[in-house]
Amino acid sequence: MADSERIAFVCPRFAGEGAVGGAETLLKNLAIHAAQRGLSVDFLTTCAQSHFTWENSLPAGTTQVEGMSVHFFPVDDRDVGTFLRIQQSIDRGRPIPPEEELRWLQNGVNSSALLRHLDQHASGYRAIFLGPYLFGLIYFAALAHPERSLLIPCLHDEPFARLACMKRLFSEPAGCLFNSQAERDLAGELFDYPDRKSRIVGMGLTPFEADATAFARRHGIDAPYVLYSGRREPLKGTPLICDYMDAFRQRTRRDIRVVFTGSGAIDAPAGLWPAIFDAGFVSEQEKHEAMAGAVSFLHPSINESFGIVLLESFLAGTPALVHAKSRVLVSQSRAAGAGLWFRHYPDFETELLYYLDHPEERKAMGEKGRQFVAREYAWPAIEQKFLDALHSLTLPAAP
Amino acid sequence: MSESSVLTIGAPGYDVDRLVADLQETTDRKMKDGVYADARVAAAEKTNLAQLRGSDDFVTFYLTCLRDAVFVDISDFEIRERRRAFSRILVHLKKLLWNLLKFYTYRLWSQQNQINGLIITAMEGMEEQNATRIAALEKRIAELEQKAPDDGRF
Repeated sequence: MADSERIAFVCPRFAGEGAVGGAETLLKNLAIHAAQRGLSVDFLTTCAQSHFTWENSLPAGTTQVEGMSVHFFPVDDRDVGTFLRIQQSIDRGRPIPPEEELRWLQNGVNSSALLRHLDQHASGYRAIFLGPYLFGLIYFAALAHPERSLLIPCLHDEPFARLACMKRLFSEPAGCLFNSQAERDLAGELFDYPDRKSRIVGMGLTPFEADATAFARRHGIDAPYVLYSGRREPLKGTPLICDYMDAFRQRTRRDIRVVFTGSGAIDAPAGLWPAIFDAGFVSEQEKHEAMAGAVSFLHPSINESFGIVLLESFLAGTPALVHAKSRVLVSQSRAAGAGLWFRHYPDFETELLYYLDHPEERKAMGEKGRQFVAREYAWPAIEQKFLDALHSLTLPAAP
Repeated sequence: MSESSVLTIGAPGYDVDRLVADLQETTDRKMKDGVYADARVAAAEKTNLAQLRGSDDFVTFYLTCLRDAVFVDISDFEIRERRRAFSRILVHLKKLLWNLLKFYTYRLWSQQNQINGLIITAMEGMEEQNATRIAALEKRIAELEQKAPDDGRF
Protein backbone atom coordinates (compact mmCIF):
# COMPACT_ATOMS: atom_id res chain seq x y z
CA MET A 1 0.00 0.00 0.00
CA ALA A 2 1.22 3.50 -0.80
CA ASP A 3 2.12 5.57 2.25
CA SER A 4 0.48 8.54 0.63
CA GLU A 5 -2.95 6.94 0.65
CA ARG A 6 -5.30 9.17 2.62
CA ILE A 7 -8.54 8.25 4.27
CA ALA A 8 -10.97 10.11 6.51
CA PHE A 9 -13.26 9.10 9.33
CA VAL A 10 -16.41 11.04 10.19
CA CYS A 11 -17.99 10.48 13.58
CA PRO A 12 -20.23 12.84 15.62
CA ARG A 13 -18.06 12.45 18.75
CA PHE A 14 -14.46 11.60 19.42
CA ALA A 15 -14.14 8.84 22.03
CA GLY A 16 -12.08 9.96 24.96
CA GLU A 17 -12.47 11.30 28.43
CA GLY A 18 -16.06 12.40 28.86
CA ALA A 19 -17.33 10.89 25.61
CA VAL A 20 -17.73 7.16 25.56
CA GLY A 21 -19.83 5.13 23.22
CA GLY A 22 -19.36 1.79 21.55
CA ALA A 23 -19.59 3.15 18.00
CA GLU A 24 -17.28 6.09 18.73
CA THR A 25 -14.72 3.76 20.33
CA LEU A 26 -14.92 1.42 17.37
CA LEU A 27 -14.35 4.16 14.78
CA LYS A 28 -11.53 5.71 16.78
CA ASN A 29 -9.74 2.37 17.20
CA LEU A 30 -10.09 1.49 13.53
CA ALA A 31 -8.67 4.90 12.63
CA ILE A 32 -5.69 4.49 14.98
CA HIS A 33 -4.87 1.07 13.59
CA ALA A 34 -5.26 2.31 10.01
CA ALA A 35 -2.71 5.02 10.85
CA GLN A 36 -0.40 2.41 12.37
CA ARG A 37 -0.58 0.47 9.10
CA GLY A 38 0.78 3.49 7.21
CA LEU A 39 -2.36 5.24 5.99
CA SER A 40 -2.67 8.97 6.36
CA VAL A 41 -5.78 9.42 8.53
CA ASP A 42 -7.93 12.50 9.14
CA PHE A 43 -10.54 12.05 11.85
CA LEU A 44 -13.35 14.59 11.42
CA THR A 45 -15.59 15.08 14.42
CA THR A 46 -17.49 17.70 16.40
CA CYS A 47 -16.63 19.70 19.49
CA ALA A 48 -19.38 17.93 21.45
CA GLN A 49 -18.77 15.41 24.21
CA SER A 50 -22.23 14.91 25.72
CA HIS A 51 -24.65 12.85 23.69
CA PHE A 52 -27.51 14.46 25.65
CA THR A 53 -26.78 18.17 25.16
CA TRP A 54 -24.43 18.14 22.13
CA GLU A 55 -22.93 21.30 23.56
CA ASN A 56 -19.68 22.46 21.94
CA SER A 57 -17.45 21.74 24.91
CA LEU A 58 -14.11 21.22 23.11
CA PRO A 59 -12.26 23.94 21.20
CA ALA A 60 -12.47 23.81 17.40
CA GLY A 61 -9.20 23.01 15.66
CA THR A 62 -6.79 20.23 14.78
CA THR A 63 -4.68 18.04 17.00
CA GLN A 64 -2.54 14.93 16.55
CA VAL A 65 -3.72 11.78 18.32
CA GLU A 66 -1.84 8.49 17.99
CA GLY A 67 -0.60 9.11 14.49
CA MET A 68 -3.71 10.72 13.03
CA SER A 69 -4.99 14.27 12.60
CA VAL A 70 -8.16 14.88 14.57
CA HIS A 71 -10.21 17.86 13.36
CA PHE A 72 -12.86 19.25 15.71
CA PHE A 73 -15.73 21.27 14.20
CA PRO A 74 -18.56 23.07 16.03
CA VAL A 75 -22.05 21.54 16.10
CA ASP A 76 -24.64 23.75 14.31
CA ASP A 77 -27.49 25.42 16.18
CA ARG A 78 -30.65 23.37 15.86
CA ASP A 79 -34.30 23.32 16.76
CA VAL A 80 -34.27 20.72 19.52
CA GLY A 81 -38.06 20.97 20.01
CA THR A 82 -38.76 20.01 16.40
CA PHE A 83 -36.15 17.26 16.54
CA LEU A 84 -37.62 15.72 19.71
CA ARG A 85 -41.21 16.02 18.48
CA ILE A 86 -40.42 14.08 15.30
CA GLN A 87 -38.13 11.66 17.10
CA GLN A 88 -40.94 10.81 19.52
CA SER A 89 -43.24 9.99 16.61
CA ILE A 90 -40.57 7.79 15.01
CA ASP A 91 -39.93 6.07 18.32
CA ARG A 92 -43.61 5.21 18.63
CA GLY A 93 -43.57 3.68 15.17
CA ARG A 94 -45.88 6.28 13.60
CA PRO A 95 -45.53 6.76 9.83
CA ILE A 96 -43.53 9.92 9.02
CA PRO A 97 -43.77 11.78 5.68
CA PRO A 98 -40.44 12.25 3.82
CA GLU A 99 -40.32 15.99 4.54
CA GLU A 100 -40.60 15.29 8.28
CA GLU A 101 -37.79 12.73 8.06
CA LEU A 102 -35.65 15.39 6.40
CA ARG A 103 -36.58 17.93 9.08
CA TRP A 104 -35.59 15.37 11.74
CA LEU A 105 -32.18 14.90 10.11
CA GLN A 106 -31.67 18.65 9.64
CA ASN A 107 -32.44 19.31 13.31
CA GLY A 108 -30.33 16.44 14.54
CA VAL A 109 -26.58 16.70 15.07
CA ASN A 110 -24.98 18.53 12.14
CA SER A 111 -21.85 20.51 11.47
CA SER A 112 -21.80 22.68 8.36
CA ALA A 113 -18.12 23.51 9.05
CA LEU A 114 -17.27 19.81 8.90
CA LEU A 115 -19.26 19.36 5.68
CA ARG A 116 -17.47 22.36 4.12
CA HIS A 117 -14.10 20.87 5.07
CA LEU A 118 -15.14 17.58 3.51
CA ASP A 119 -16.27 19.33 0.31
CA GLN A 120 -12.83 20.95 -0.01
CA HIS A 121 -10.80 17.82 0.71
CA ALA A 122 -12.97 14.86 -0.34
CA SER A 123 -11.22 14.34 -3.68
CA GLY A 124 -7.93 13.71 -1.83
CA TYR A 125 -9.33 10.81 0.20
CA ARG A 126 -9.46 7.29 -1.12
CA ALA A 127 -12.35 6.61 1.26
CA ILE A 128 -14.42 8.36 3.89
CA PHE A 129 -15.58 6.06 6.70
CA LEU A 130 -18.71 7.31 8.42
CA GLY A 131 -20.74 6.15 11.38
CA PRO A 132 -22.90 5.52 13.29
CA TYR A 133 -25.80 5.78 10.87
CA LEU A 134 -28.56 7.68 12.64
CA PHE A 135 -27.12 11.20 12.70
CA GLY A 136 -27.90 14.03 10.28
CA LEU A 137 -24.15 14.67 10.02
CA ILE A 138 -23.47 11.15 8.76
CA TYR A 139 -26.44 11.22 6.39
CA PHE A 140 -25.49 14.50 4.69
CA ALA A 141 -21.76 13.75 4.59
CA ALA A 142 -22.28 10.29 3.06
CA LEU A 143 -24.70 11.54 0.41
CA ALA A 144 -22.45 14.48 -0.50
CA HIS A 145 -19.62 12.11 -1.51
CA PRO A 146 -21.26 8.70 -2.03
CA GLU A 147 -18.58 7.30 -4.36
CA ARG A 148 -15.96 7.58 -1.58
CA SER A 149 -18.20 6.88 1.38
CA LEU A 150 -18.06 3.64 3.33
CA LEU A 151 -20.58 3.44 6.14
CA ILE A 152 -19.73 1.83 9.45
CA PRO A 153 -23.37 1.99 10.44
CA CYS A 154 -23.50 0.08 13.76
CA LEU A 155 -27.03 -0.77 12.70
CA HIS A 156 -29.70 -1.77 15.22
CA ASP A 157 -33.18 -3.09 14.66
CA GLU A 158 -34.99 0.05 15.81
CA PRO A 159 -37.67 2.40 14.43
CA PHE A 160 -35.04 4.83 13.01
CA ALA A 161 -33.63 2.07 10.81
CA ARG A 162 -37.04 1.72 9.15
CA LEU A 163 -37.25 5.32 7.90
CA ALA A 164 -37.38 5.78 4.12
CA CYS A 165 -34.35 8.10 4.23
CA MET A 166 -32.22 5.30 5.65
CA LYS A 167 -32.80 3.21 2.56
CA ARG A 168 -31.21 6.03 0.57
CA LEU A 169 -28.36 6.36 3.06
CA PHE A 170 -27.52 2.70 2.64
CA SER A 171 -28.03 2.46 -1.12
CA GLU A 172 -25.95 5.41 -2.39
CA PRO A 173 -22.54 5.08 -0.66
CA ALA A 174 -19.88 2.77 -2.10
CA GLY A 175 -20.27 0.18 0.63
CA CYS A 176 -20.65 -0.79 4.24
CA LEU A 177 -18.40 -2.25 6.92
CA PHE A 178 -20.50 -4.32 9.29
CA ASN A 179 -19.46 -5.48 12.72
CA SER A 180 -21.01 -8.92 12.54
CA GLN A 181 -22.88 -11.31 10.26
CA ALA A 182 -26.04 -10.61 12.29
CA GLU A 183 -25.77 -6.89 11.46
CA ARG A 184 -25.21 -7.68 7.79
CA ASP A 185 -28.31 -9.93 7.81
CA LEU A 186 -30.33 -7.12 9.36
CA ALA A 187 -29.24 -4.71 6.59
CA GLY A 188 -30.25 -7.37 4.07
CA GLU A 189 -33.72 -7.61 5.61
CA LEU A 190 -34.25 -3.87 6.01
CA PHE A 191 -32.70 -2.52 2.80
CA ASP A 192 -32.23 -5.56 0.61
CA TYR A 193 -28.55 -4.72 0.98
CA PRO A 194 -26.34 -6.77 -1.38
CA ASP A 195 -23.53 -8.77 0.26
CA ARG A 196 -21.11 -7.77 -2.52
CA LYS A 197 -21.18 -4.15 -1.30
CA SER A 198 -20.23 -4.99 2.27
CA ARG A 199 -17.50 -6.57 4.37
CA ILE A 200 -17.54 -7.75 7.98
CA VAL A 201 -14.72 -6.09 9.88
CA GLY A 202 -15.63 -5.30 13.51
CA MET A 203 -12.99 -4.15 15.94
CA GLY A 204 -9.90 -5.80 17.36
CA LEU A 205 -9.39 -6.41 21.04
CA THR A 206 -6.06 -6.76 22.76
CA PRO A 207 -5.84 -9.73 25.16
CA PHE A 208 -5.17 -8.80 28.80
CA GLU A 209 -4.41 -10.43 32.10
CA ALA A 210 -6.55 -9.44 35.07
CA ASP A 211 -6.50 -10.56 38.70
CA ALA A 212 -9.95 -12.03 39.37
CA THR A 213 -9.84 -11.20 43.08
CA ALA A 214 -8.41 -7.67 42.92
CA PHE A 215 -11.64 -5.74 42.34
CA ALA A 216 -13.64 -7.41 45.12
CA ARG A 217 -10.69 -7.13 47.52
CA ARG A 218 -10.14 -3.44 46.77
CA HIS A 219 -13.79 -2.55 47.31
CA GLY A 220 -14.61 -4.96 50.15
CA ILE A 221 -17.13 -6.98 48.16
CA ASP A 222 -17.46 -10.18 50.18
CA ALA A 223 -20.04 -12.04 48.07
CA PRO A 224 -20.29 -13.20 44.45
CA TYR A 225 -21.31 -10.47 42.05
CA VAL A 226 -22.65 -9.92 38.55
CA LEU A 227 -21.41 -7.00 36.47
CA TYR A 228 -22.66 -4.47 33.95
CA SER A 229 -20.24 -2.04 32.29
CA GLY A 230 -21.24 0.90 30.15
CA ARG A 231 -23.88 3.59 29.94
CA ARG A 232 -26.77 3.13 32.32
CA GLU A 233 -29.96 3.89 30.41
CA PRO A 234 -33.20 2.14 29.49
CA LEU A 235 -32.02 1.47 25.91
CA LYS A 236 -29.10 -0.51 27.33
CA GLY A 237 -31.42 -2.50 29.60
CA THR A 238 -30.02 -1.37 32.95
CA PRO A 239 -33.48 -1.01 34.61
CA LEU A 240 -34.10 -4.63 33.61
CA ILE A 241 -30.89 -5.71 35.37
CA CYS A 242 -32.06 -4.00 38.56
CA ASP A 243 -35.58 -5.44 38.40
CA TYR A 244 -34.35 -8.96 37.64
CA MET A 245 -31.62 -8.93 40.29
CA ASP A 246 -34.05 -7.61 42.90
CA ALA A 247 -36.46 -10.46 42.13
CA PHE A 248 -33.58 -12.97 41.98
CA ARG A 249 -32.25 -12.03 45.41
CA GLN A 250 -35.71 -12.11 46.96
CA ARG A 251 -36.82 -15.38 45.39
CA THR A 252 -33.62 -17.39 45.70
CA ARG A 253 -32.34 -15.76 48.93
CA ARG A 254 -28.83 -15.85 47.44
CA ASP A 255 -26.52 -13.06 48.52
CA ILE A 256 -25.31 -11.92 45.12
CA ARG A 257 -24.23 -8.34 44.50
CA VAL A 258 -24.69 -6.16 41.43
CA VAL A 259 -21.68 -4.14 40.29
CA PHE A 260 -21.94 -1.29 37.80
CA THR A 261 -19.08 0.48 36.08
CA GLY A 262 -19.65 3.36 33.68
CA SER A 263 -21.75 6.50 33.74
CA GLY A 264 -25.39 7.46 34.19
CA ALA A 265 -28.00 7.16 36.90
CA ILE A 266 -29.04 3.74 38.19
CA ASP A 267 -32.79 3.27 38.44
CA ALA A 268 -33.13 0.48 41.01
CA PRO A 269 -35.84 -0.70 43.43
CA ALA A 270 -35.18 0.43 47.01
CA GLY A 271 -34.64 -3.14 48.21
CA LEU A 272 -31.76 -3.72 45.82
CA TRP A 273 -29.63 -0.71 46.81
CA PRO A 274 -27.77 -2.45 49.67
CA ALA A 275 -26.60 -5.05 47.12
CA ILE A 276 -25.48 -2.53 44.48
CA PHE A 277 -21.91 -1.35 44.16
CA ASP A 278 -21.58 1.57 41.76
CA ALA A 279 -17.90 1.86 40.83
CA GLY A 280 -18.62 4.70 38.38
CA PHE A 281 -16.10 5.52 35.68
CA VAL A 282 -13.08 3.24 36.17
CA SER A 283 -9.78 2.66 34.36
CA GLU A 284 -9.53 -0.08 31.72
CA GLN A 285 -7.43 -2.14 34.12
CA GLU A 286 -10.00 -1.90 36.89
CA LYS A 287 -12.84 -2.67 34.47
CA HIS A 288 -11.00 -5.80 33.35
CA GLU A 289 -10.44 -6.85 36.97
CA ALA A 290 -14.12 -6.31 37.73
CA MET A 291 -14.99 -8.45 34.72
CA ALA A 292 -12.56 -11.22 35.65
CA GLY A 293 -14.02 -11.53 39.15
CA ALA A 294 -17.71 -11.54 38.16
CA VAL A 295 -19.90 -14.64 38.18
CA SER A 296 -21.38 -13.39 34.94
CA PHE A 297 -21.41 -10.30 32.78
CA LEU A 298 -24.97 -9.05 32.21
CA HIS A 299 -25.77 -7.49 28.85
CA PRO A 300 -29.53 -7.20 28.38
CA SER A 301 -29.42 -4.58 25.61
CA ILE A 302 -31.16 -5.56 22.39
CA ASN A 303 -29.72 -2.58 20.48
CA GLU A 304 -26.20 -3.73 19.78
CA SER A 305 -24.31 -4.12 16.54
CA PHE A 306 -21.10 -5.47 18.04
CA GLY A 307 -20.99 -5.67 21.86
CA ILE A 308 -17.46 -4.53 22.77
CA VAL A 309 -17.96 -5.01 26.52
CA LEU A 310 -19.37 -8.49 25.96
CA LEU A 311 -16.22 -9.50 24.09
CA GLU A 312 -14.07 -7.86 26.77
CA SER A 313 -15.82 -9.92 29.44
CA PHE A 314 -15.09 -13.05 27.37
CA LEU A 315 -11.44 -11.96 27.22
CA ALA A 316 -11.54 -11.70 31.01
CA GLY A 317 -12.72 -15.33 31.11
CA THR A 318 -16.22 -14.48 32.30
CA PRO A 319 -19.31 -15.88 30.60
CA ALA A 320 -22.35 -13.71 29.97
CA LEU A 321 -26.10 -13.55 30.18
CA VAL A 322 -27.65 -11.73 27.22
CA HIS A 323 -31.18 -10.99 26.04
CA ALA A 324 -32.54 -13.52 23.56
CA LYS A 325 -33.88 -10.67 21.39
CA SER A 326 -30.42 -9.30 20.69
CA ARG A 327 -29.42 -11.22 17.63
CA VAL A 328 -25.87 -9.83 17.67
CA LEU A 329 -25.14 -10.68 21.30
CA VAL A 330 -26.78 -14.10 20.99
CA SER A 331 -24.72 -14.82 17.88
CA GLN A 332 -21.50 -13.72 19.66
CA SER A 333 -22.39 -15.85 22.70
CA ARG A 334 -23.18 -18.82 20.50
CA ALA A 335 -20.02 -18.48 18.41
CA ALA A 336 -17.85 -18.12 21.50
CA GLY A 337 -19.69 -20.81 23.45
CA ALA A 338 -19.48 -18.41 26.36
CA GLY A 339 -22.92 -16.96 26.93
CA LEU A 340 -26.49 -17.93 27.70
CA TRP A 341 -29.53 -16.00 26.54
CA PHE A 342 -32.81 -15.40 28.35
CA ARG A 343 -36.31 -14.60 27.06
CA HIS A 344 -37.77 -13.51 30.38
CA TYR A 345 -37.16 -13.51 34.12
CA PRO A 346 -37.75 -17.25 34.64
CA ASP A 347 -35.00 -18.04 32.09
CA PHE A 348 -32.73 -15.48 33.74
CA GLU A 349 -33.21 -17.04 37.17
CA THR A 350 -32.55 -20.56 35.88
CA GLU A 351 -29.45 -19.50 33.97
CA LEU A 352 -27.91 -17.40 36.73
CA LEU A 353 -28.48 -20.26 39.17
CA TYR A 354 -26.75 -22.52 36.67
CA TYR A 355 -23.67 -20.26 36.68
CA LEU A 356 -23.67 -20.05 40.48
CA ASP A 357 -24.09 -23.79 41.03
CA HIS A 358 -21.75 -25.00 38.27
CA PRO A 359 -18.46 -23.12 38.80
CA GLU A 360 -16.42 -25.60 36.75
CA GLU A 361 -18.73 -25.37 33.75
CA ARG A 362 -18.83 -21.60 34.11
CA LYS A 363 -15.05 -21.47 34.13
CA ALA A 364 -14.87 -23.68 31.05
CA MET A 365 -17.29 -21.41 29.21
CA GLY A 366 -15.27 -18.34 30.20
CA GLU A 367 -12.06 -19.93 28.96
CA LYS A 368 -13.73 -20.83 25.69
CA GLY A 369 -14.85 -17.22 25.31
CA ARG A 370 -11.34 -15.95 26.03
CA GLN A 371 -9.84 -18.18 23.36
CA PHE A 372 -12.56 -17.22 20.86
CA VAL A 373 -11.99 -13.46 21.20
CA ALA A 374 -8.20 -13.78 21.22
CA ARG A 375 -8.44 -15.78 17.99
CA GLU A 376 -11.24 -13.98 16.09
CA TYR A 377 -10.66 -10.40 17.20
CA ALA A 378 -6.88 -10.13 17.16
CA TRP A 379 -5.89 -6.71 15.78
CA PRO A 380 -3.67 -7.96 12.92
CA ALA A 381 -6.61 -9.95 11.50
CA ILE A 382 -9.01 -7.01 11.89
CA GLU A 383 -6.51 -4.58 10.32
CA GLN A 384 -6.19 -6.90 7.33
CA LYS A 385 -9.98 -7.16 6.97
CA PHE A 386 -10.18 -3.37 7.12
CA LEU A 387 -7.52 -2.91 4.42
CA ASP A 388 -9.18 -5.57 2.23
CA ALA A 389 -12.50 -3.74 2.57
CA LEU A 390 -10.85 -0.42 1.69
CA HIS A 391 -9.21 -1.81 -1.43
CA SER A 392 -12.09 -3.93 -2.66
CA LEU A 393 -14.90 -1.41 -2.12
CA THR A 394 -13.21 1.80 -3.33
CA LEU A 395 -10.97 3.06 -6.12
CA PRO A 396 -7.70 4.97 -5.56
CA ALA A 397 -8.11 8.72 -5.14
CA ALA A 398 -7.30 10.94 -8.12
CA PRO A 399 -3.62 12.08 -8.11
CA MET B 1 -38.66 -20.17 45.80
CA SER B 2 -37.16 -21.98 42.87
CA GLU B 3 -34.96 -25.04 42.94
CA SER B 4 -31.35 -24.13 43.49
CA SER B 5 -29.76 -26.58 41.10
CA VAL B 6 -31.23 -27.12 37.69
CA LEU B 7 -29.41 -29.82 35.81
CA THR B 8 -26.01 -31.01 34.77
CA ILE B 9 -25.09 -31.05 31.12
CA GLY B 10 -22.90 -33.80 29.73
CA ALA B 11 -20.44 -31.56 27.90
CA PRO B 12 -20.53 -28.43 30.01
CA GLY B 13 -19.98 -25.11 28.34
CA TYR B 14 -19.21 -26.54 24.95
CA ASP B 15 -22.60 -26.53 23.26
CA VAL B 16 -24.39 -23.45 24.49
CA ASP B 17 -27.29 -24.00 22.08
CA ARG B 18 -28.02 -27.31 23.75
CA LEU B 19 -27.39 -25.91 27.20
CA VAL B 20 -29.79 -22.99 26.61
CA ALA B 21 -32.40 -25.35 25.11
CA ASP B 22 -32.15 -27.67 28.13
CA LEU B 23 -32.29 -24.83 30.64
CA GLN B 24 -35.23 -23.21 28.87
CA GLU B 25 -37.06 -26.53 28.72
CA THR B 26 -36.62 -26.83 32.49
CA THR B 27 -37.87 -23.26 32.90
CA ASP B 28 -40.93 -23.90 30.73
CA ARG B 29 -41.80 -26.98 32.79
CA LYS B 30 -41.40 -25.06 36.02
CA MET B 31 -43.54 -22.23 34.64
CA LYS B 32 -46.33 -24.73 33.94
CA ASP B 33 -45.94 -26.05 37.49
CA GLY B 34 -46.50 -22.55 38.82
CA VAL B 35 -42.97 -22.01 40.20
CA TYR B 36 -42.89 -18.48 38.79
CA ALA B 37 -46.50 -17.48 39.51
CA ASP B 38 -45.22 -14.76 41.74
CA ALA B 39 -45.95 -11.05 42.08
CA ARG B 40 -42.20 -10.39 42.22
CA VAL B 41 -41.79 -11.94 38.79
CA ALA B 42 -44.58 -9.75 37.39
CA ALA B 43 -42.88 -6.67 38.84
CA ALA B 44 -39.46 -7.72 37.52
CA GLU B 45 -40.86 -8.21 34.04
CA LYS B 46 -42.22 -4.67 33.67
CA THR B 47 -39.29 -3.39 31.61
CA ASN B 48 -39.21 -6.51 29.45
CA LEU B 49 -42.87 -6.50 28.41
CA ALA B 50 -42.26 -4.86 25.03
CA GLN B 51 -39.83 -7.68 24.12
CA LEU B 52 -42.27 -10.38 25.13
CA ARG B 53 -45.30 -9.27 23.15
CA GLY B 54 -44.54 -11.76 20.42
CA SER B 55 -44.31 -14.77 22.74
CA ASP B 56 -47.26 -17.17 22.42
CA ASP B 57 -47.82 -18.10 26.06
CA PHE B 58 -46.52 -14.98 27.69
CA VAL B 59 -49.78 -13.11 28.30
CA THR B 60 -51.25 -16.11 30.12
CA PHE B 61 -48.09 -16.42 32.21
CA TYR B 62 -47.99 -12.71 32.99
CA LEU B 63 -51.63 -12.67 34.06
CA THR B 64 -50.94 -15.59 36.43
CA CYS B 65 -48.14 -13.56 38.02
CA LEU B 66 -50.36 -10.50 38.21
CA ARG B 67 -53.14 -12.45 39.93
CA ASP B 68 -50.79 -12.74 42.89
CA ALA B 69 -49.77 -9.09 42.73
CA VAL B 70 -53.11 -7.31 42.47
CA PHE B 71 -54.36 -7.91 45.98
CA VAL B 72 -52.79 -5.44 48.38
CA ASP B 73 -52.11 -6.94 51.83
CA ILE B 74 -54.47 -5.21 54.26
CA SER B 75 -53.96 -7.57 57.21
CA ASP B 76 -52.98 -6.23 60.60
CA PHE B 77 -49.26 -6.15 61.39
CA GLU B 78 -46.95 -5.99 64.37
CA ILE B 79 -46.00 -2.46 65.37
CA ARG B 80 -42.38 -2.01 66.50
CA GLU B 81 -39.97 0.79 67.34
CA ARG B 82 -36.27 0.63 66.51
CA ARG B 83 -35.21 3.61 68.62
CA ARG B 84 -34.41 2.64 72.21
CA ALA B 85 -35.39 5.87 73.91
CA PHE B 86 -39.12 6.18 74.62
CA SER B 87 -39.74 3.02 72.64
CA ARG B 88 -42.75 1.94 74.72
CA ILE B 89 -44.38 5.34 74.44
CA LEU B 90 -43.71 5.49 70.73
CA VAL B 91 -45.19 2.03 70.16
CA HIS B 92 -48.32 3.02 72.07
CA LEU B 93 -48.56 6.21 70.09
CA LYS B 94 -48.23 4.34 66.79
CA LYS B 95 -50.84 1.81 67.88
CA LEU B 96 -53.22 4.59 68.76
CA LEU B 97 -52.66 6.25 65.37
CA TRP B 98 -53.15 2.96 63.57
CA ASN B 99 -56.39 2.26 65.44
CA LEU B 100 -57.68 5.65 64.40
CA LEU B 101 -56.69 5.16 60.74
CA LYS B 102 -57.42 1.45 60.36
CA PHE B 103 -61.06 1.70 59.39
CA TYR B 104 -60.43 4.24 56.63
CA THR B 105 -57.37 2.36 55.33
CA TYR B 106 -59.27 -0.91 55.16
CA ARG B 107 -62.20 0.76 53.47
CA LEU B 108 -59.96 2.35 50.82
CA TRP B 109 -57.82 -0.70 50.10
CA SER B 110 -60.63 -3.27 50.17
CA GLN B 111 -62.34 -1.23 47.45
CA GLN B 112 -59.09 -0.95 45.52
CA ASN B 113 -58.58 -4.71 45.83
CA GLN B 114 -62.07 -5.31 44.47
CA ILE B 115 -61.30 -3.12 41.47
CA ASN B 116 -57.92 -4.80 40.90
CA GLY B 117 -59.58 -8.22 41.08
CA LEU B 118 -62.32 -7.23 38.64
CA ILE B 119 -59.79 -5.84 36.17
CA ILE B 120 -57.59 -8.92 36.22
CA THR B 121 -60.66 -11.17 35.85
CA ALA B 122 -61.78 -9.11 32.86
CA MET B 123 -58.29 -9.33 31.32
CA GLU B 124 -58.18 -13.07 31.86
CA GLY B 125 -61.63 -13.36 30.25
CA MET B 126 -60.51 -11.34 27.23
CA GLU B 127 -57.34 -13.40 26.92
CA GLU B 128 -59.31 -16.63 27.07
CA GLN B 129 -61.85 -15.33 24.56
CA ASN B 130 -59.09 -14.27 22.15
CA ALA B 131 -57.29 -17.59 22.53
CA THR B 132 -60.52 -19.48 21.74
CA ARG B 133 -61.21 -17.25 18.76
CA ILE B 134 -57.68 -17.69 17.38
CA ALA B 135 -57.85 -21.46 17.87
CA ALA B 136 -61.17 -21.57 15.97
CA LEU B 137 -59.72 -19.45 13.15
CA GLU B 138 -56.61 -21.63 12.91
CA LYS B 139 -58.80 -24.74 12.75
CA ARG B 140 -60.94 -23.10 10.02
CA ILE B 141 -57.83 -22.14 8.00
CA ALA B 142 -56.45 -25.68 8.30
CA GLU B 143 -59.78 -27.09 7.05
CA LEU B 144 -59.87 -24.67 4.12
CA GLU B 145 -56.25 -25.48 3.23
CA GLN B 146 -57.13 -29.18 3.15
CA LYS B 147 -60.09 -28.50 0.86
CA ALA B 148 -58.10 -26.17 -1.42
CA PRO B 149 -57.17 -27.40 -4.90
CA ASP B 150 -53.54 -28.27 -5.69
CA ASP B 151 -52.71 -24.79 -7.02
CA GLY B 152 -53.24 -23.43 -3.51
CA ARG B 153 -56.23 -21.17 -4.36
CA PHE B 154 -59.34 -21.35 -2.19
